[in-house]
Parts: sequence; C-alpha cells; structure tokens
Amino acid sequence: MLFLTEVIHQIYFIMAAVFALLLLRGLFKRNTRKTLIYDVVYAYSIIPFLLRALHIK
Amino acid sequence: MKNDNNVTYKIIILAIVLLLAFLGGREFYEIRHFKQSIVVSDSFTERFMLSDYSEGIKGTWADTPVYLYDSGEPGGSMLLLGGTHPYEPATMLAAYVAAENISVKKGKVYIIPAANYSAMTLGILGNAYPKYYTLDTEWGSKKFRIGDRNTNPLDQWPDPFTYVHYPSTQNLAYQDIRNLNRTYPGRPDGALTERVSYAIMELIRKENIDLYVDMHEASLMYPVVSTYVAHDRSLDICMMASMTLSAEQFPIKCEASPKSLRGLSHREVGDFSDTLAVLMETAEPFIDRVAGRITEELMITGKDEFLQTASEAGLLYCQPEYDINFGSPIHYRVGRHLSGTMEVIKWMNEFFPEKEIIVGFPLYADLMEKGAGYFLHDPEKADENKLFYN
Repeated sequence: MLFLTEVIHQIYFIMAAVFALLLLRGLFKRNTRKTLIYDVVYAYSIIPFLLRALHIK
Repeated sequence: MKNDNNVTYKIIILAIVLLLAFLGGREFYEIRHFKQSIVVSDSFTERFMLSDYSEGIKGTWADTPVYLYDSGEPGGSMLLLGGTHPYEPATMLAAYVAAENISVKKGKVYIIPAANYSAMTLGILGNAYPKYYTLDTEWGSKKFRIGDRNTNPLDQWPDPFTYVHYPSTQNLAYQDIRNLNRTYPGRPDGALTERVSYAIMELIRKENIDLYVDMHEASLMYPVVSTYVAHDRSLDICMMASMTLSAEQFPIKCEASPKSLRGLSHREVGDFSDTLAVLMETAEPFIDRVAGRITEELMITGKDEFLQTASEAGLLYCQPEYDINFGSPIHYRVGRHLSGTMEVIKWMNEFFPEKEIIVGFPLYADLMEKGAGYFLHDPEKADENKLFYN
C-alpha cells in the first residue's frame, strides 16, 4: 500500500509536468485564439504546474 | 516577418512569466527550507527522530526531531507536543521555550516542537496570511515560521473524496486525511499523516508515556477555545487543573473528550495507549474568520477591532472575555500553555504518585512579566552540543 500511495503521489508531479509542457506547446503552436492576450494566459497558466512539477509549491 | 514578431512576443511573455515564477517560487522554497534554531537546556539528554519509532516516515518531510530530557531519577514520563497544527504557532513557541529552559529532577520529558513537520513547511492558503513572525529577544530579533494546518500537499496528495478514518471507519472531511489531529491512532502503511500519528503512538506505547499533552490554538468563535479537552482517564486531573488555574491564575474550561468524535488525539491516544491524554486550546485571533487585516502584528498582539465588536455582541467563547486593550498576545498564549501543562503534571503527581515527574520551566507569570523572547537563547553564543536546528 505504501508503494502504491507513493506511485500515485508521483503521478501527480508527472501530470503537472505534462500539463506545463502542453501549455508551453499551446503558447507557441495553436490554431485558435491567436491574439496576444491568449499568449499571456497560456504563459501565466504554466506557473502553478511548473512550481508543482519542481516540488516547490 | 509577422510570424517572427509573434514568436518574439511569446518569448518575451514567457521570460516575464518565468521571472514571476522564480520570484514567487523563491518565497515558497524559502519557507519550505527555513530552519529554526533551538538551544536546549542543561537537562537535555538526547535528540532523535520520530522515525526511530516507525520506519514509515523515515526520509520524508514528516519526520520530526524529538528532544529527550531524562533526569535519570525513576519516575513518570511525559510527551509535550507543539505544532500539531503549525498555523497555531504559540504551541511551537511554548515547546521551544520549554525545550530551552526546562529542568527535570525526576522522570523523563519528551518534547516534539513540530509534530506535523510537513505542515510547517508551507504558509496558510488564502487571505494573504504572513509567512513569518518576529520576536524581540535579549540578544536581537528571532524569526519564526507560521505554517499551515494540514500536511503539505507536496508530501501527501491527492486527498480522497471522503476520508474514512482508520480504524473506526467514521467518514470525515476529505482534507482531514492531512490533519494530524484527525488521523490518530494512525497506521504504519497508511497515508503520510496517518504514519506520523502511528509513529507518535509507537513512541507513547514503547516508552510507556504517562502523560501526553497536545497544545493547540483556536479561533475565539470556537466553543472549545481556552479549554482542556481530556480523555476519560485524565478527566480528574484536568478538572482539578482547570479549577486551580481558574481560581489562581487565569480562567480555563475543561471538557470531556467526546466518544463519537474520532481521530482526535484526546480520544484516540487515550483509547489506544495507557497514557493520560490531554489537549489544550488557547485563543488565537489570527485565525478567526471575522478578524480584520491578518498581519504579523495581529499574530503577536492579538488586537483586532472586529473581534472586539464580536465580543460585545456575545459571539466569542474565549475566557477571560476578549478586550482589545489587552488582545491575546503570543507571550500570554505561551504562558497559558506552559502553566496549563505544569498544572496537569502537578495533579497527575497528586493522583498517581508512582508517575511523579518533577520539572521546572517558565510559567504564565514569568511570560507575562518578561515576554517570550526573554526565554530564548542566542544560538551564536550557544555550546555547539546544545544547538540544534528544527
């Protein structure tokens, strides 16, 4: 059970990293909502996922 | 050409965002890695980690130092806990003041200043709470961390939809699986906070701890504020302590631990060991929902005009009645905890002479006269064998 708990816990960090990468890709390559304000939204949204993936917050 | 411009803008925006992430992340990193100095008293015997009693927390952020003061004279033993909820910092400060000044003449005293160490490594979510507070001492100022209520999500995540308490199977709020005072008696292979509870239980059982004191702080609108909460076996000593303190020093209520409310230390620690389990609450305006600006000053002084209004409307439960001219300063709350602890020791000695502990540390009158900073020692002048970092 301890092992499974740890695996599930680590999956959340991996998920955070994956979401950060998806947002990064969306920042540079997307087909809709191409205005500058959406660039800001995509970039800003990376912060929480980045901090979680780095075990900071 | 337009595409090149777009990419340039995106890179500039990303750079700005990464700078913001760095600035914010640095603060989070600092509070997670902040270390608190502690200069132990002459009665100090040994420092070890809680994981010595249960491997399940070894190498995790939940493992926490335990300070042992053994007189060498046979007698009783007690465990004093601060920081079960680190956002109640007078509990940790009381443990530091005790650890730095305690003298033990008979029996043994174990002190855990930060029972939920992981919860101490992040700030409180929301409401723009400050992360630290600073106390003036005889040798300068000393900074203390204000932690959160529950275990850091970096160390225990995800929360379940419903937290099913072990072993009662009672359903509790989902976030309480990270609340050390809802996970007793714990289990060795459960969630991290359950493993911390289990390690504390193992310490109590293996060391035959006679008296367990868990210090807390409460909002003034919480009915159990300014109160002892006693397990069935410790009810007599707490009633006597409550009456004595109320007559001689400061009013403090006493309540019996509810049998149907599971996971709390005053219930489970008593049920799953032979110890006399006691929980204490002081009044902490900082965490009241109706308080105004949540500032470091509020943490230190406890003065808030909204609470004064609530008091005049009869909405508060603290004793004595809240008065903004005095507030609820941190040295007062520390003093209450230390005298509250001393009084239950005194009455345990009366009721159970075979468990006698003879101990001394600063009390309510000392704290009220000199403040809390007076009792904290300069780490730069300390003997290196007595200096530790928590």
